[in-house]
Amino acid sequence: MAMVDTGAVRLHVQRIGPRDGRPATATVVLVHGLLTDSLASYYFTVAPAFAAAGLDVVMYDLRGHGRSARPADGYTLDDNVDDLEALLDRLAVTGPVHLVGNSYGGTVAFGYAARHPERAASVTLIESEPATPAWAVKLGGILDRVVTQLAHNETDAIAWITAHRGHNTARLARGAARLARDTTLGRDIPASRVLTEEQITAVRCPVLGVYGGDSDLAELAPWLEASLPDCRTVVIPGHEHSVLVEAAPAVGGHVLALVREAERAGAEVR
Amino acid sequence: MTPHTSVTADERTVLADLTELLARLMEDEYGLDDIEIGPDTTFNRDLELESIDLVTLAGLLQERYGDRVNFAEFLAGMEFDEIIELTVGRLVEYVVASLHAAEAS
Repeated sequence: MAMVDTGAVRLHVQRIGPRDGRPATATVVLVHGLLTDSLASYYFTVAPAFAAAGLDVVMYDLRGHGRSARPADGYTLDDNVDDLEALLDRLAVTGPVHLVGNSYGGTVAFGYAARHPERAASVTLIESEPATPAWAVKLGGILDRVVTQLAHNETDAIAWITAHRGHNTARLARGAARLARDTTLGRDIPASRVLTEEQITAVRCPVLGVYGGDSDLAELAPWLEASLPDCRTVVIPGHEHSVLVEAAPAVGGHVLALVREAERAGAEVR
Repeated sequence: MTPHTSVTADERTVLADLTELLARLMEDEYGLDDIEIGPDTTFNRDLELESIDLVTLAGLLQERYGDRVNFAEFLAGMEFDEIIELTVGRLVEYVVASLHAAEAS
């Protein structure tokens, strides 16, 4: 297991590449979602196919998640973008990268692209959106429910989840409750500095939005396309927020198509 | 599931290997040192492993067998329900088949 010390926090990183020793054609960085998520959502789904397609695949656990360290504080969006920036620096990944983010991970990936437009070759937002004032309000509501109902009334909440959603979901919920209790994450994320319209439109690289057809977030697709200079969206029917894990081959295929196209366009410009 | 009576020497060795790797993982991550592990043990229900634990297990398998065994590809080819039901015995079969395939090529 590879741990990378960014200077601020120790992060768990997994990096895989083409197996036959070919040099990778590009680097793709995969960022997972909040609370119940970890790099495993990529490691066992799209990552093997990305490596087989010739990509250098970097996955990491956000601070507080998976096997990364869990500091008590420092969970704003800017902190997460700082971590990503420092991580790529430590890994000596200097060229433009293809960023892929699931849910909150997409907000982090987009935050990195907005901060360094020249370092983003493409961005894929899976069930995700850039940090806007409306995003912060929505996340505030979700995190408030996690903190108040789960973390502070855990026994009852877990009993209900076990009865209605099953043993696995209950186990994930216990993990989420621990994270919310042990850290300032629940307060920090809604208090994050959000992006201005100018910062959002400064992301000029190709952006792909992928949404589950049955997810509330799918209604963001037209707004995202209208807001960004180079954006397309795909809605995958029959799925909700877990579309990455449930429809991994379809989602992975869309990401690979975007990466290949962006690489071809980049080669023509160079 | 292969009945115990017909396991090959290969499978016995790999089962012993995996039992040791899993015992190490359970001790390192959960401080548990008295876990009983057999071919019918499920990763999810019996061992209560989370998906990030399976990433750690993938690393241990890589250390033990090198590139001949690719646990991530094995799981990436499965439906979610199959992963939930995954047993130690099923992984043993996969490891043995991978090692044989590597020998043959």
